[in-house]
Amino acid sequence: MTIVACTFGDPTASGEVEELLTLARRLSESNASDLRWLVAGSAPRAAVEELAAAYGVATVDRIDDPKLEGAAPDASVEALAQYCASRPPATLLLSQTFDARLVAPRLAGRVNATVMMNAVDVENDVGTVRVTVSAYGGDTRAVYELTGDGPHVIGVMANATAPERSSGATPVINDVSVDLSRIEERIRIVERTPEQGPRLEDANIIVAGGRGLGSADKFHHVEDLAEALGGMAAASRPIVDDGWADPSRQIGLTGKVARPALYIAAGISGASQHMAGCSAAKTIVAINRDPDAPIFRYARYGIVGDCIELLTELTNAVKAR
Amino acid sequence: MRIVVCAKEVLDPDAVNSYAVAGRLEIGEDGRTITQAAIPRLMNAYDEQAIEAALRIRDAGVECTIAVVSVGGDQADVLKQAAAMGADEIATITVDTSTVDYHVAARLLAAYVEHSGGADLILCGRQASDDDQGVVPALIGEALGIPVITIARAVEVTSDAARVTRVTPNGEEIVEADLPAVVTISNELGLPRYPTTAGRIAARRMQANVLSPDDLGLTPDDLQPRVALTKQFVPQVQGNCEMLSGDSPAQIASDLIERLRADQVLP
Ligand SMILES: Cc1cc2nc3c(=O)[nH]c(=O)nc-3n(C[C@H](O)[C@H](O)[C@H](O)COP(=O)(O)OP(=O)(O)OC[C@H]3O[C@@H](n4cnc5c(N)ncnc54)[C@H](O)[C@@H]3O)c2cc1C
Repeated sequence: MTIVACTFGDPTASGEVEELLTLARRLSESNASDLRWLVAGSAPRAAVEELAAAYGVATVDRIDDPKLEGAAPDASVEALAQYCASRPPATLLLSQTFDARLVAPRLAGRVNATVMMNAVDVENDVGTVRVTVSAYGGDTRAVYELTGDGPHVIGVMANATAPERSSGATPVINDVSVDLSRIEERIRIVERTPEQGPRLEDANIIVAGGRGLGSADKFHHVEDLAEALGGMAAASRPIVDDGWADPSRQIGLTGKVARPALYIAAGISGASQHMAGCSAAKTIVAINRDPDAPIFRYARYGIVGDCIELLTELTNAVKAR
Repeated sequence: MRIVVCAKEVLDPDAVNSYAVAGRLEIGEDGRTITQAAIPRLMNAYDEQAIEAALRIRDAGVECTIAVVSVGGDQADVLKQAAAMGADEIATITVDTSTVDYHVAARLLAAYVEHSGGADLILCGRQASDDDQGVVPALIGEALGIPVITIARAVEVTSDAARVTRVTPNGEEIVEADLPAVVTISNELGLPRYPTTAGRIAARRMQANVLSPDDLGLTPDDLQPRVALTKQFVPQVQGNCEMLSGDSPAQIASDLIERLRADQVLP
């Protein structure tokens, strides 16, 4: 039996590879199956070797093909399907990135595998794989059993596993070749408006505003404090939907998943779908006029009061220094 | 042009959230089903937006038939609402939804498309707000061998291609694919329309096309689930919140900043 952890592109570009390799290793150790790390797309060899050694992965399979450049879904699905055909894994785990969210179920459809997304934990049991996933935006956890010989394709959520290093020998790196000569991407990119500047995913400090701000013209209070702190401004979904903030600012299940050192939530109730994008923050500060707002359950510090007043005073206090 | 929209009913996610937060979400004796009778059932909001996307294509002057299909014999309200919004056809596939996994659902929906005159465009919500899986649209695309474009904010069609504005983590992106294609709709599309009175009256007269898996040429083998929900629970949130208070907002603000500095969260 083989467990394959699969990532795309440069593994050092996101913090999720460490989590994925940790979960995959744990799973392989639990029933003594082989562990392989499949690296698709171009990735610096030294970085791959170093990560594999640090996380106890003895075998790395690399598929590098120019057609895999730039989140190419048809080429990615085909490459993984050929890989699965030549060395069928029992379980194939992927970090659940934006692109993997499409590639994983398409791969499953292509190779007749079962698929499960939003996994926070995966266990092996006799004849079944048991996957715990987040459901209802995080309000519940659902446990599913996947039957059959697999492969089972599983998307693993960010921030669900604490990375754990494990000493390992120098990994063996295999170059696996696939034939993508017949692949022509069916989705053509006409225009891209790349977001400029820093990403919420990488921000160390985030100040986020919600419907409690009251109106669109109040969002600048969030931006003011973010700027004073050298952080980034963010928003809950309703105020994005209402046009108070740009969609690129949305934190949550269907927005960005951030893990800043400090997350200040102003006028945000703390619905699980919002918390899915920020609960990994080291310190959460909640400002809400309702003392029973759920956000306080996640917060380290809470302030019951008017968020506009407090955002203004916080900005003053930071600037006063 | 024929547009098929897939829609399903879910428990109202806001109500589920309220009960979960209050620690009163009830999981039934089977250990996996939410049993609160007080939680309303409604159409998955993204599916409503998928119907809206189809209607906007029609509003843009594209001649099309819009068919809304749902898996499960108990989807009458969803289909009524779809009809009232402006769907031309509604269809339901009669199966016991408790035995339908994602793979079976996709197989049923793909078979429906093939048996109902095909589709130039298949629209789905990006995910259902109950299980959040979002895999069925991709599985339908694979079953039919057609491209899948996810997380759309706007969809336009010409006679043979779809032009889709996607919301990606790196910004907006406009892509094109030849039809037929599957497109999943995200909340950035905007609010779905409310049914008009005339729409509601017309909906009352519209009969759903009721189909069994057998009608769709599927065998019991095709309906064998491989993914089974065995348990559901509410995760615990570890609360250790310290409430700050003071004489004035200014004082509370400086107290907070001081604490964050003491914790070395701020420099
Ligand atoms: C499938 C699905 C996906 C979703 N994805 C996301 C997502 O990615 N991101 C997201 O954010 N949401 C998402 N949601 C929505 C989510 O469920 C909540 O509805 C949303 O997060 C609530 O936003 P809010 O806290 O800004 O608004 P509300 O819930 O309306 O809360 C406003 C809060 O402000 C407080 N308040 C009001 N006035 C003041 C004041 N003057 N001062 C201080 N406090 C005040 C109120 O007490 C209240 O707690 C999703 C929902 C679904 C069903």
